[in-house]
Amino acid sequence: MASERNVSLLRGLRYKGEGPMLTFILHRIGGLGIVLFVTVHILASFLGGKGGQFINAIYEHWLFQIFVYFCALFHAINGLRITILDLWPALLEYQREAIWLEWAVFLPVYGIAVFIILRTALGG
Amino acid sequence: MQVTLKIFRFNPEKDRKFHYETYTLEAEPTERVLDLLERVKGYHDGTFTFRRSCAHGVCGSDAMRINGRNRLACKTLVQDVGERITIEPLLGLRVIKDLVVDMEPFFENYRKVLPYFINESPLPEDGRERLQSPEERARFDDTTKCILCAACTTSCPSFWASDDYLGPAALVAAHRFIFDSRDEAAAQRLQIVAETSGLARCHTVFNCTMACPREIQITKAIGELKMATITGKLD
Ligand code: SF4
Ligand code: FES
Repeated sequence: MASERNVSLLRGLRYKGEGPMLTFILHRIGGLGIVLFVTVHILASFLGGKGGQFINAIYEHWLFQIFVYFCALFHAINGLRITILDLWPALLEYQREAIWLEWAVFLPVYGIAVFIILRTALGG
Repeated sequence: MQVTLKIFRFNPEKDRKFHYETYTLEAEPTERVLDLLERVKGYHDGTFTFRRSCAHGVCGSDAMRINGRNRLACKTLVQDVGERITIEPLLGLRVIKDLVVDMEPFFENYRKVLPYFINESPLPEDGRERLQSPEERARFDDTTKCILCAACTTSCPSFWASDDYLGPAALVAAHRFIFDSRDEAAAQRLQIVAETSGLARCHTVFNCTMACPREIQITKAIGELKMATITGKLD
């Protein structure tokens, strides 16, 4: 008798897909992060009162903002890369370059935002 | 140099779970990983089981995970992967024994795309071959190179999630015939690949292209199929 299908989330994550697979994983994390943000936002407005304020305090915290901003920005820029490549398949030969370009756009934009969030939060 | 091989082992007659075994061998940097596997089987443990045939990257039978990434053991040199080498079977398929996996779900998907030449029209007047220009031939040249090793399909997260997904190899085969000017079943195949278990499950992860030992631009071929299903055009 053969084994069950040889796969699990952990074994999949251990696959060495390198840069492109990393963007795939971050895209999923980004999507989940956005859903989490929207959910707590709706929940906070729905509950109101003390409970609402407590949830507000969590997602308005600078740590959460840094996380959510990462999710939204990465999801957007990576989504744009995939859309462009899907519309012009000939460009898929330059997939590696496209990923470098994506990071080159993402890192400075994200870096500036993190800087501003931190300055506002910690610098007073 | 001394090489340490950590090999996935599973004997369905004895084991309930897989385990790893470690072997230390002397090897030349220019030897292939397949040579080391042969040595383990020949000198260390005759029960060790894996597939191989041509040993020259042509038959596609020895695709496996080498240091966490799908490769052909016969095309991977020791110097390319270092002195600590982990060998595991392809992901997403059932393990029959050690590195031998059940390839049936892979071939089942392959058969779905009608991977053979279809042309019911009468032969040309001279009764000989159906001609095509060098440009027409070049259109699908890349996807003719597939050796059905399954390295691509079993590196794909969508296939790991569900083996209903046709997978990159079947889509490569579909591309090979859909873009062949002599073939007449492109429309039928486009319908098959456009189903929910087909193109829509490709999330442009790119693992397949990186894993392909034939260096086929798989994601590009899939992208061209996506466009063809949207526009209905084959240019
Ligand atoms: S497309 Fe490449 S990786 Fe996939 S089965 Fe064919 S040769 Fe193997
Ligand atoms: S043994 Fe034939 S491809 Fe490696």
